[in-house]
Order: sequence, then structure tokens, then C-alpha cells
Amino acid sequence: MKSIDYTRTAVLALALVVASGQVLATGDAKRGADAFAEECGDCHSAIPGKSKKGPMLTGINGRKAGSVTDFAGYSEAMKQSGITWSADKIDAYIAAPKKVVPGGKMKYDGLADAGTRADLVAYLMTLK
Amino acid sequence: MIAMKMPLAGEWRRWARWPCASTALLASVLLATTFSTTAQAVPSYARQTGSECAACHIGSFGPQLTPYGIRFKVGGYTDTDGKDGKVPISAMAVANWTRSTKDLPEAPAHFSTNNNAAVQEVSLFLAGRLTDHIGTFIQGTYSGVDRKSFLDQVDIRYASTLNLGEQEGVVGISLNNNPTLTDPFNTLAQWRFPYTASDFGFGTGAAPLVENLGGSVVGINAYTLWDKNFYAELGVYRALSGNTVNKINTSQVATATIDPGKFSGVGTYWRLAYFKDMKRDNFNVGVFGFNAGVENANDPGSADHYQDLGIDASYQFLGNREHIFTVNASYVWEKQNLNYTYNALGASQHSTDTLDTFRLATSYHYKQTWGATAGLFDTRGSSDNGLYGSVSYNNRPDTSGYILQADWTPWGKEGSWGAPWANVRLGLQYTGYTRFNGGSHYIDEVNNIDRKATDNNTTMLFLWLAI
Repeated sequence: MKSIDYTRTAVLALALVVASGQVLATGDAKRGADAFAEECGDCHSAIPGKSKKGPMLTGINGRKAGSVTDFAGYSEAMKQSGITWSADKIDAYIAAPKKVVPGGKMKYDGLADAGTRADLVAYLMTLK
Repeated sequence: MIAMKMPLAGEWRRWARWPCASTALLASVLLATTFSTTAQAVPSYARQTGSECAACHIGSFGPQLTPYGIRFKVGGYTDTDGKDGKVPISAMAVANWTRSTKDLPEAPAHFSTNNNAAVQEVSLFLAGRLTDHIGTFIQGTYSGVDRKSFLDQVDIRYASTLNLGEQEGVVGISLNNNPTLTDPFNTLAQWRFPYTASDFGFGTGAAPLVENLGGSVVGINAYTLWDKNFYAELGVYRALSGNTVNKINTSQVATATIDPGKFSGVGTYWRLAYFKDMKRDNFNVGVFGFNAGVENANDPGSADHYQDLGIDASYQFLGNREHIFTVNASYVWEKQNLNYTYNALGASQHSTDTLDTFRLATSYHYKQTWGATAGLFDTRGSSDNGLYGSVSYNNRPDTSGYILQADWTPWGKEGSWGAPWANVRLGLQYTGYTRFNGGSHYIDEVNNIDRKATDNNTTMLFLWLAI
């Protein structure tokens, strides 16, 4: 009986992990590249050192929000947000930008589909 | 002064325009003026935003706009990457070689009756952000065919964001010289396919008044893109005086044999559209209209009245930008109340005529570099011996055919060589006619001989540069 309990616990834990956003780990970076082209590429670049209307996204993992020195278009809200970008922070921001950074400049309503967000974040994590 | 939108040499255009030389007002309205729009490509916007040309334009070259480009235009050309020192100036040139199946009815000044090569236009743009809320699209052009310079397209905008409760919209004002220049979609006259056409070609038939006003009017338009989806625009236009047109040389009127005309009161332009951007793809559906009375400047008081009403739709599949597919369509119905032409001049057979124009274009682009576009044009109008009898066997203006284009745009993408300064499009365009001036045969007015519609089939090789 104990082994059954362990199994149930493991299943429950897995479900919680998935529900809490660890689904990001299953994102497909290749599909994420397509999602980047569709959702982000007009305003953001994946080329190192290249900023457009929005800041470059290379090296975003672990970067402090509002810290790309070559980009002049940050809002005060973004610079003061205190965010250090990680997979889960990016996921939350992409889902609802105005909710995570009220007063931010990014003109994007958000990406509702969690699977596409996971793919996108997986791709962004590859941008070194 | 009501004029046509394309600067073309006065003499040689006679073989390609509608008859009614004695009909002052209609000569300015009903001429076969859809030779081409002047081309536009403006890399200064790319330098201003830091985005590549492909972000705003299908196929990495103007003028067909993506949703990003639509929002940039609606926003008053003011979006920026935040960096200082941007100069809102661009330059552009279009060179072409043109061959028609049968020689032109007469040789244009400085050119031959066939196989003409020309630097068709060289343009300088003041195009970009002047302040946080004011931006411009102003084009001055030298025509290598007409051998003259002129003020071409003018669109000066103020735009701002407005919030009402939970909803947000962009509202703006445009001072411009062409009713459809302001439109953000690629379905109306100024911005639809073909995006460049040869001055040595035969056009696409008679056009409604709203498509014949570029450079000869001045208008003030208020517009909004509300809640990202609802586009609305209302504009009023006055005709420029003949002196003003001559001074700024905005059109070919100064060299053409067209009598001056002016609006009785103002011309009114309105536009409603629903636009939905799903990122992967997008569409718009819309309606628009233009109403104006045109009277002879030398004989005020009695005017011809034109009512233009149109519907349009477009769809773009963008995906990951590797395979891009678009379709643009429009239909315009024009009612012509020819009170002056019929009653005072006796130059039309009827006091009321109609003109219907349909346009369809679909394109495919691979890797934003290789493009293929197919277009259909179809113009039908009332039978009127007074207006069309000298060139049409059935007294109708009916003209229809197709345009096929293949093009190559090597740069203009992110990371392209020389971006965003180096921009080139090389293209081959073929225009085929199934009807011209009413049927498969028509009257060559210049030589007073029979001519086949297919004699006007035209091949153009073009090179389009922008920096």
C-alpha cells in the first residue's frame, strides 16, 4: 500500500510542477523560434547587440530588467521593476505585460497560450 | 484644379487616355489615369525604428504594409528606438525598360515608340518623426520621362494615444494632398498593386474621381484606430488653384491640355474598416466613399457631381515570415451626375453615367526575398457616345486584364548587408489586356485606326533602389 501512496504522491507532485510553470522545461525551442518571429521579431532582435523599438533579447536570462545600456527606450516602470529575468519571470511577463510591469511601454496584449509561451521561453533561453 | 495623380508627358499620353477633349471637367476626371502610382520606399523609417524594412513591408520593400507597418503609419510615423540623431531623409530611384506588343501610337518626347529604357523617377523624401507626435511622409520627385520635378505625395500627421475607460485608441490628424494616401491598408488606389508601373504602359482603364486627385487637392483628415481593431477616417478636400498647382508643379496639368476645374464646396472622404491582427495572420474589411462636385473654374455655378462608394478586404498570412501570402481586393462604384457636361457642354450622351472598378491582387513571398504577385483589373462603365465614342466601338470604357510580377529583393531583412541603407528590388512585370476601351478592339485615336487590346500588352523590367 505504501508504494501506491508514493505513486499517487509522485503523480500529484508532477501535476503541481506542471501547473506551477515548470512546463517551461518542456518547451520546444525550434517552435519557439517560429513563435518569436510571429510575436516578437518586429520589435525585438535575436542578434547580439541589436536593439530595435524594444531591447535586444540575447542574454536575457539572468539580466536585470531595463539594463541594456545601448537601448534608450525603457520606461521608468521597467527600470524600477526590480525584475531579474528568468524563465518563469519571462513567462509571466509575456502572458500579461501590463500586469507584471504596470506603466511599461511594450505595446503587447500578451500571449495566452501556455504551450506557445513555453516554446518561446525555451527559445529565449537559447539566446546567449 | 482637379488633376490626375501621375505626372506624365503631355503629348504622348493622348493615345492612352479617354476621349472628351472638349469636355473640360470629364477630361480631368475620366482619363485613363491609372498608369501607376509613383513608387514609394522609405528606409529612413527603418533607421528611425531600428527595425528592418521587412518588419513594416511584405517582401522587405515598400509599400505593402504588415500590421507593424500599419500601426507605424497610424501612429503618425513617430515610433522610434529612442536613439537621437536620426535624419528623416530618404532617396529612391526607379529605372525600367518597357516593351509593348505593338508600338505605341506615337513616340513620347525624348523616347521611341517601343523598347524604351528610362530612369522613370528619382525621389527625395522628408519622411520620419519630427516631434513625439508629429511625423511626415513628403515626397519630391523628378520624372525622367517628363523631364521635370514636382511635389509628389504629402502626408503630415499628428497622432496621439487616447484612453477612454478600459479602451485605448490612436487618434490623429493628417494634412495631405491625396484622399487615399492616408489609408493604412493596401486595397485603395494609392497603395494597391501594382506598386510600380511603367509610364510607357497603357494603364488599367478609367478610374473614379477619388483616384484622380493626387497632387491637385489639399485635405485635412481626422482618423482613429480604436481598440486596435476599428479604423475610421473623415476628411474634407479643396481643389488647389491652377496657379498653386503650377507653382509647386504637383502634376502634369501644366503641360497637359486639361482645362482647370475645382470643387464646388468641398470634397468629402470617409472610411470605415475592421482590422484584426492575430500575429500569425491578419485581415481587414472596410468601406469608403468620396463625394464631390466638380465645376469649371471659368464657368462656376454648374457642376458635375461624383459619388464614389467602395468596399475592400485584405488578408495576410505571415507565420514565421518564411512563406508569406497576401490577398487584396476592392470594388468601387461611381455615380456621375453630369449636369454641366451634359446640359452646358453637350459633351456627354447622358446626364447620368456609372463606372465600376474591381481590383484583386494576391502575392506570395519566400523568405521575404523572392516574390510573385498576380493581379486582376476590371473597369466597366455606361455606354456614352459623347464620352467614349471616339475611341470605343461600343461607346464604353470597359477595360480589363491581368498583371503578373516576379521580383527579387535581396536585402531589407534583419542582418542584411548594408541594412538599412541598401535596398534593391529587381522585378519583371507583365500586363495583359483582354479588353481595352470597350472590347477586344478599339480605336487608336491618334492614328484613327483599329487597334487590338492585346496590342497593348506590356512587359516591364525594373530596378528599384532606395537608401
